[in-house]
Amino acid sequence: MRSRSYLLAVAALFILPATALAQTTISGRVISEDGAAVSDVAVTIPELGLGTVTRDDGRYSISVPGARALGQTVTIAARRIGYRAQNTRVTLNPGTVTTDITMATNPMQLGEVIVTGAGTTSTVERLGNVRNVVSPELIRKANEPNLVQALAGKAPNVLVQQTAGDPGANSRIQIRGLRTINGNTEPLFIIDGVPVSNYTFSTTNFNPVDAGSTSGVGGQDNGGEWEGTSAPNRMIDVNSDDIENVEILKGAAAAAIYGARAANGVILITTKHGGAGATKYQLRSSYSNDEITRHYPLQTEWSLGRFNASALPCEDIGKGTCTRSWGPQIPSGTPVYDHASEAFRNGHIADNSLTVSGGNERTTFFLSGSGLRNQGVFVGPNNYFDRATVRLNATHQLTDALSLGGNFSYADTRGHFTQRGNNVNGLLLGLLRTPPEFNNLPYLDPVSGLHRSYRMQNPDATTAGASRGFNNPFYTLYQELNQQQAARSFGNVTAEYRAASWLRFNWSLGADYTNDERLEGCPAECSDVAAGGRITEGKIINYQIDHSLSGNATWSLSDNVGFTFTAGQNLNARNYRTFSVVGRTLIAPTPFSVLNTLTRDPPSDYQTEVHNSSGFGQLQVDLIKQLYLTGALRDDCSTTFGKANRCAMFPKASAAWTFTNAYKPPGLTFGKLRFSYGEAGNEPQPYLSSVTFSGTNLVGGIAQGTGFTPTQSGRGGLFFTFTKPATSLKPERTKETEGGFDIGFLGEKADLSATWYLSKTSDVILITPIAPSSGYSSEAKNAGKLQNSGTELQLNLRPITRPNWSWDVGAGWAANKSKVDTLIGAQFLYDPSAFTGNVFMIGQPLGVIRGEGWVRCGISPDDAVPGISLATFCGGKPKGTLFIDDGTHCYEVGMPCEDTQLRILANPNPKWTGNVHSTFRVGKFAFSGLVDIKKGGAMWNGTKGALWSYGTHKDTQNRAVCTGPLNSDCTGNEHAFGDANWYPGPVVGPGAGTKIPIGENWYRSSNLAACPFTGIDEPCIEDAGYVKLRELSVAYSFTQEWVSRSLGMSSIDFRVSGRNLKTWTKYTGLDPETTTGQSYERVGGADYFNLPLTRSVVFTFTLNR
Amino acid sequence: MKTIRYAAAAVALMGGVYGCSNFLSADKAVSNPNQPTVASVNQLLVAIEANIFGQQEGPAEMLICEWMQQCAGTAGRFVEVQGAYTINNNSFDGSFNSIYTAGGLLAIKDAETRADAVPDQQYKGVLEVLEAMNMLFGADNWGDIPYSQAITNSTPTFDPQLQIYDNLLTLLDQAITDLNGSGSGPGQYDLVYNGDKVKWTQAAHMLKARIYLHLAEVRGAASYASARTEAGLGISSPANDFKAVHSEATSERNMWYQFQLTSFGQDLVAGARLVGIMQAQNDPRLADYFGKNSNGGFGGYDVATQKNVGEPSPIANSNRNVATFAQPIITYDERELIIAETAFKMGDAVTAAAALNTVRAEYGKAPIAAPTLNDIMTEKYIALFQNMESWNDYKRTCLPTLTPALGRTVVPGRIPYGYTELQTNPNAEVDPGPTLVTGRNANDPNAC
Repeated sequence: MRSRSYLLAVAALFILPATALAQTTISGRVISEDGAAVSDVAVTIPELGLGTVTRDDGRYSISVPGARALGQTVTIAARRIGYRAQNTRVTLNPGTVTTDITMATNPMQLGEVIVTGAGTTSTVERLGNVRNVVSPELIRKANEPNLVQALAGKAPNVLVQQTAGDPGANSRIQIRGLRTINGNTEPLFIIDGVPVSNYTFSTTNFNPVDAGSTSGVGGQDNGGEWEGTSAPNRMIDVNSDDIENVEILKGAAAAAIYGARAANGVILITTKHGGAGATKYQLRSSYSNDEITRHYPLQTEWSLGRFNASALPCEDIGKGTCTRSWGPQIPSGTPVYDHASEAFRNGHIADNSLTVSGGNERTTFFLSGSGLRNQGVFVGPNNYFDRATVRLNATHQLTDALSLGGNFSYADTRGHFTQRGNNVNGLLLGLLRTPPEFNNLPYLDPVSGLHRSYRMQNPDATTAGASRGFNNPFYTLYQELNQQQAARSFGNVTAEYRAASWLRFNWSLGADYTNDERLEGCPAECSDVAAGGRITEGKIINYQIDHSLSGNATWSLSDNVGFTFTAGQNLNARNYRTFSVVGRTLIAPTPFSVLNTLTRDPPSDYQTEVHNSSGFGQLQVDLIKQLYLTGALRDDCSTTFGKANRCAMFPKASAAWTFTNAYKPPGLTFGKLRFSYGEAGNEPQPYLSSVTFSGTNLVGGIAQGTGFTPTQSGRGGLFFTFTKPATSLKPERTKETEGGFDIGFLGEKADLSATWYLSKTSDVILITPIAPSSGYSSEAKNAGKLQNSGTELQLNLRPITRPNWSWDVGAGWAANKSKVDTLIGAQFLYDPSAFTGNVFMIGQPLGVIRGEGWVRCGISPDDAVPGISLATFCGGKPKGTLFIDDGTHCYEVGMPCEDTQLRILANPNPKWTGNVHSTFRVGKFAFSGLVDIKKGGAMWNGTKGALWSYGTHKDTQNRAVCTGPLNSDCTGNEHAFGDANWYPGPVVGPGAGTKIPIGENWYRSSNLAACPFTGIDEPCIEDAGYVKLRELSVAYSFTQEWVSRSLGMSSIDFRVSGRNLKTWTKYTGLDPETTTGQSYERVGGADYFNLPLTRSVVFTFTLNR
Repeated sequence: MKTIRYAAAAVALMGGVYGCSNFLSADKAVSNPNQPTVASVNQLLVAIEANIFGQQEGPAEMLICEWMQQCAGTAGRFVEVQGAYTINNNSFDGSFNSIYTAGGLLAIKDAETRADAVPDQQYKGVLEVLEAMNMLFGADNWGDIPYSQAITNSTPTFDPQLQIYDNLLTLLDQAITDLNGSGSGPGQYDLVYNGDKVKWTQAAHMLKARIYLHLAEVRGAASYASARTEAGLGISSPANDFKAVHSEATSERNMWYQFQLTSFGQDLVAGARLVGIMQAQNDPRLADYFGKNSNGGFGGYDVATQKNVGEPSPIANSNRNVATFAQPIITYDERELIIAETAFKMGDAVTAAAALNTVRAEYGKAPIAAPTLNDIMTEKYIALFQNMESWNDYKRTCLPTLTPALGRTVVPGRIPYGYTELQTNPNAEVDPGPTLVTGRNANDPNAC
């Protein structure tokens, strides 16, 4: 023992002085062409594997140990996104060598390495697809707690919609349209090479009895999305300050390397890493003030009742006259209440984060922590979302050839949400139906202390625990508890082994684990099926392990011929499990626990396990420095495929030609033509191929909330599931062809990228209806074909690029057209996710709204009006002319007729989407803005239809006074259909031009208006296009001497920004962006008491050191 | 050299892991861990019976209750709209499908095969009676439906309704034979009769009696005689009534009760016709069937005039409106009233009066010495509240008289086919008749 210590000491004597003697320090400053310091430049000596990162003042310093500094000449490489890589030769003599580096800007990012997934990389020139990258500054500027929402308006044809303004609400993302009918609709999310989950689960789905839908695919109900709270999508667990870069691989051609899970595209997220050099600190603190973007238009003149008679007293929810506001005019002097505003307040988001990063030549680290508290805009204690995250990314170079790394992240999220949508215990349904003269406060009766609602205004002890019809909105806000608590950890360990200068191996083992707990408690006087109190408790456990190993070889035959070959394998195992139980009738008022209930629904336990095993290879060929060819093949095997088809191959090929390297047309600084073809898949839902029996949901009941199980009276029963087992299912396959060009012109002051694509999806899995008389009502089949095609344009202009003065402006435009080509066994299929009648119909765009319309010329069949041949009226009339009856065929004189044939009423898909963004810098000020545009796309406004029927909508303020259901019972407010202010347009028919009173007779009694009830859908269809001022900000950066001298900071940034400041839209509801079906919705286009969205002003301080 | 060795090792590792075959055959990944992949015959039986309860208490029966004006719909929503005959092929798709899928004919046939394999004739007999009930639900309401090719063919042809009735008579004869055969039967797994073969045999005779009655309009007197005979062998006491079984568990509660808990529950109220008849007879079942209105009395909504007759009584707050109420499906009262009707038709006024008065006596009502057919059918109309058979009776006898809904000329005679079947089965028949609600089934050529 002693002798070994002695030896070590002797050895140290020899080694240490040698090192000290010959050390070389290379230092200097990196500046841009305009003389400004450039920070965050990676300065490396590739030959020695050494490097550092410049500080805010552009300075860097690299120490080379004496043993390695032998007077040789090495290359100093400086790289930073947005600048051209710069190489300088330096001779390593002992002492300090000063090397200043000037970097030229590189607006088109030529030569920069791009991560293209699954261990493959490329450069901008080599890429055969359009590139969409989102920088961390853009994500930061969005001020969105949810990373998915932060992608809104950032790339053409990446449609992101916020489904509700509740804190922590989910956002829906879809790239280049919908490529499936029943399958997963979202892109695959990959963080640092590891797939991660972005699931959204509506807690109400834990209660299939009340959610009332069995349309869910794969064993889970989906009706819950239309009601219940707005749950987070799980990418909300990512702290956006951790993001280094987001690459969006759009379409099958770009994403083919991810095979069977990539048909919807891939979002590749890279998190930040530390760099060698002095430790850097960043403290960012932001605070926002949020308010709802719009208040619902409500009438304020008419009281509760029917046929102009007061309904009072209203103490019994069975009393039908107590539901609607068709009572007498409210006498002047009687107070009315502002139901449009009373439930809302200003919300706030306080978001603080600290990052520390640094390292030395061999070891780097990045450490971050953040805390976010989002206080929502709905009054009461139960509307918030909190998130705390920590992350550590570290790398260590073990030997010159081998480096190890690890990324670890943990997020804790907790939120209290608000019931919404098609839900009598939701916020807006009760709120907006309240008659103007009813004061919702206090929401508890002062005498009995019980929940009072406008349908039961003075409750007493006899009605304790009984339904209130609709909840008082304040009871919903103060007494209901809808809680989510999730803990998530994800990350990976990696190893990179450079076996030779031309050969490299990468290994990664990643994991993603979420434990997500839910509790929903509706107290005793909740309405309808929750009367007596209802507790839903559930838990979601979601985890996956991902193993991948890839090898990468590069070699050159000559200067003009080079190859890069990547081969790899991937194993992925995903487990998902939910447990839940619903308890009914609270014993004591609290706690909200199923143990405190009298009866329990059968508990639910649902799990899936999916295993994928894949191998892939990719070959890139570089020819004469201008033509780049890529070919790749992935073989995916999955347990979700039918036994007969357990593996599937996905090829891709692309070509990129930098033609300006061969011939430079005048004016062009850069030009590239690109073309690619690729195939990618969408996995079947698990277990569609297995024969099963079920013990739940035997008989759908008469209405929501009724149903039967086969387990009766203590006897366990089982029945055959409704779906016939499918043993030869294959993944859905999207074949996509993409072409386009990227050009730089005006001396790099402008660049334009244009892309065209055509994607054809075949083997679309349809849960096809089959003849129920065969014993099953549906069967999963690879039976559908559909296509999407589109154009994407991106133009960037940099008119001014002076040192202290710069201006850039960019615009993106994209259109996607979809069409259903083939369905087997049906002319159309209903969209299982849609609240209204969205269908997939052969020859039509995906998800068009099918519903009831009025009889119109050229659209309705000739005999649509009983007893009349429409043709006799419609001759010479334009298509769509509205038929007005004289009261002898349909309903009443002067009114349109219902077309009993359901028809396609509208297309909810946008005609095109676009965005314009601009940044203007003067000195240390920076102004920037982003406008997000959606042109067209229809919405079924069921909220409006319901409020017409309820007589609370602003439209009903001008009304005829009715004493009965017929026109003859009404006086005043006369209109003729077709007039300029009343459904303008051509009309025809025996009643055309007849003025009729418009009041309760029309809005409620006629069944021709109020769409969500027995009315007709057509009058509720609206254009939901919008122009949104998503972001507007002004920032000032303090980098003066005094900042570092007296504060010890390298810079301080201050930013004031606005988010969703203004929306221009024709849509009459709260917001055209919201959806009833939340992020699960495939196409969208329904508004049924959706929650409002918010606009914010955000103040941000960032301290850098 | 070393590099190449490492590289070779890495490649071998990649290949090895990729080729790992167990990974793709992991238990929970290939077979569904959430649902059983096998079911016992007893488990199927429970589901089959639950399915029958669902048919008899579900959407179709609520509709029939309205059409028979025993119930009525208000509030402008689907309940009222359907009550006034506005329905389409979507409306009762689920009800139609229940004849075949899940616990329907698919499960019944599967269970029968297993009973044969044991063999257990008594069990088979029970299943055959249930098969007949299930198919009768279909043939009565929809007329021609798939039967002979159902389950075995992916697009079965539709059998004529009258042929199905004849097939079911044969099936029930076989069931009666089998019930007296070998085997131990389902025992406790039979929710209705606990495996009692005597009660099942009586139920089988009752179903035969019903079928003969349903054929009476086209086959005349002989049918009445057969129905008389079968009813005589039918349910011999109220204790042997065929009733649905329910518990307090959320999804096992009586469906009428469940519906009352929904936001649509209040849309369904008492029908003025039934309330009027029961008030006139001072029938004590009024409070069983309906809740008191806010005046403490009973009233109903009249779909014929679209007016209230008194303030309508809710379904809620009635004595029947409890979670565990065992919905009567085939009863002793029905048997007595079948005897009364058939005896009356066969000219045996004494037997007819005796049978009618047996039922009246049960409810404390004075006997009628010389009842008319209307007296008998009206008594049956009261007895068959919330029971589909009341519609079959009406279609045959047009008694008690009903005035169709305002603006309509005829009470509908059938339910339109489910749209799923129409859309997917090229052999599907189109709905007969000029409109969805004026079409008639083969056994009922004459509207009232």
